[in-house]
Amino acid sequence: MKRLSRGEGVTGWLFTIPYLAYTIIFFVLPFLWGLLLLVSEWNLISPVREFVGLGNLLEALQSRRVHAAALTPFKIMALFLPAVLIMSLGIAVLINSFKKRQGLLAVAFFLPYLASGVSMSLVVKGVVSYTSPVNKVISNIIGFVPDWLGTPSLAILVIALMIAWRFSGYYALIFLSGLQSIPGELYEAAQIDGAGRIKSFFKITLPQLYPALYSVLILAVGLMFGVFTEPYMLTGGGPNLATHTWYLEIYYQAFSTLRAGYASSIALYNAIAVFIVVGIVRRIMQAWGRAHGWED
Amino acid sequence: MERQKLTWPRFVRLADKYGVMILRWALALVGIGFATAPYLYMILQSLAPWREVNRRLIPSSLTTRSYEWLLQGSATAVARPWLRGFGNSVLVTSLSTLCMLVVAMLAGYALARLRFRGREGIYKFILFQMFYPAIILLVPQFLIVRYLGLYNTYAGMIIPRAVNIWAIFMYVSFFKSVNPAMLEAARIDGASETQVLFRIVIPLSRSITAVIGLFLFMERWVELLWDLIVVQEYPMMTLNVMIATMSGPYASYPGPLYAASVILTVPIILIFLVFSKHFTQGFKFILK
Repeated sequence: MKRLSRGEGVTGWLFTIPYLAYTIIFFVLPFLWGLLLLVSEWNLISPVREFVGLGNLLEALQSRRVHAAALTPFKIMALFLPAVLIMSLGIAVLINSFKKRQGLLAVAFFLPYLASGVSMSLVVKGVVSYTSPVNKVISNIIGFVPDWLGTPSLAILVIALMIAWRFSGYYALIFLSGLQSIPGELYEAAQIDGAGRIKSFFKITLPQLYPALYSVLILAVGLMFGVFTEPYMLTGGGPNLATHTWYLEIYYQAFSTLRAGYASSIALYNAIAVFIVVGIVRRIMQAWGRAHGWED
Repeated sequence: MERQKLTWPRFVRLADKYGVMILRWALALVGIGFATAPYLYMILQSLAPWREVNRRLIPSSLTTRSYEWLLQGSATAVARPWLRGFGNSVLVTSLSTLCMLVVAMLAGYALARLRFRGREGIYKFILFQMFYPAIILLVPQFLIVRYLGLYNTYAGMIIPRAVNIWAIFMYVSFFKSVNPAMLEAARIDGASETQVLFRIVIPLSRSITAVIGLFLFMERWVELLWDLIVVQEYPMMTLNVMIATMSGPYASYPGPLYAASVILTVPIILIFLVFSKHFTQGFKFILK
């Protein structure tokens, strides 16, 4: 055991001071202030703060808007998860099948991640607008122009596909690095046993991708509870709250109706929802992993 | 006749040899087409004559009217400070990213390589922070910013986003993977901790810094919620927020909004392409 040198200790503290100062002001303090807000009714301006106890938390439980916001992640997820998994796995398998130029392809497929949700929303708004070229083609086939953002299921579909487009290349890179760590002998053995390409994909590739699948699913599911930009820009949470999200509701309550305490209670429910759902996904994935010989 | 007989099997052989490759490239090009289509749409529409915006996929002619209108406005619509907005985005994103990198590098190095009292506790707290839902802090963070008088200021956008926990975590794991013998050798030669930092640690982490910085920059560049809350006045707004808040009243001018989007998007893509060499190398480390 080397003795703690005095210089090292001082430098250690000096180097962590910026982080510590930030953490006290922008983490610990808001953490405590948040607890205080939770039990108060306060409009961000007035000097009067009313103590309401559990009032905010109980009110949120009964709010139609919060119910809608709590449901939306699951609606988006139902379309987003299959779409993003198929796209990103497909991209990863495709890139992996190249012997050269893998880096170039990875960079190209990563480009959607750079998109600002704001400008992509403008593009989507244009593409689904009544007179758009895409709608012209569609109305020639089905005879009418669908009201993309005014129909609840279509609006959810649009938002789910926008997010899937943005993250497919990112998740593909996680899958690609998983694919490249699968030992080649496994496939050779399967080939000798006479397994075809599709069979070896489901019997070898998918189970071997467990660590990558685990990370991607946790990231993707967590993402669903923080959707803000797309519905903010495209639907405002409508039609009839069909695309209302947690973040929209928190933003609305805190900065439009100026109910800081109530917004904080919704944020707390949001965190609890993420915690529970991500926890369930984690359990399911770990069970699946164990069934395929992975340790936790 | 003789020739025909020879060429046909050769064609089959060639198809056998190159067919899979052609198919692969075809699939890759279709995929890249999908990945870049919205960007191309944005660029084409920003250059389209106004009567064709969102009505034709490929404009019949190209014009810079949308860009001119964006900067000059018209008799009925006052021009917004778009260029200033772009400048604000550059300023806020660069300073924010720079702070995040410096703080994370220092803290990461200290936590991974320096022995001092409290180190374990701090590291555990960082892990807690990383998984603590940021949304709960949104409203109180805003209140603190307002209390400190940073509402409607650049500092209000930069300081609360000057530390990134994920980046600290990345640097800790990077510096833990560095061979300690290199650092020890320098110390034995009498170098101070600061000298070790500047002469060895920073040059060593160039590649990982490029990737972490790229990710931080990309995410900060397109941040909406925080910048939307903290800044309410035009001269301070980032370009992203300006486009977001314009799309209501400007909805009848889609062309200029596409032009603004191009100005927002092209720089970040260029930066990404410039750093893409580091990106492909460093991304694997980030995944671990």
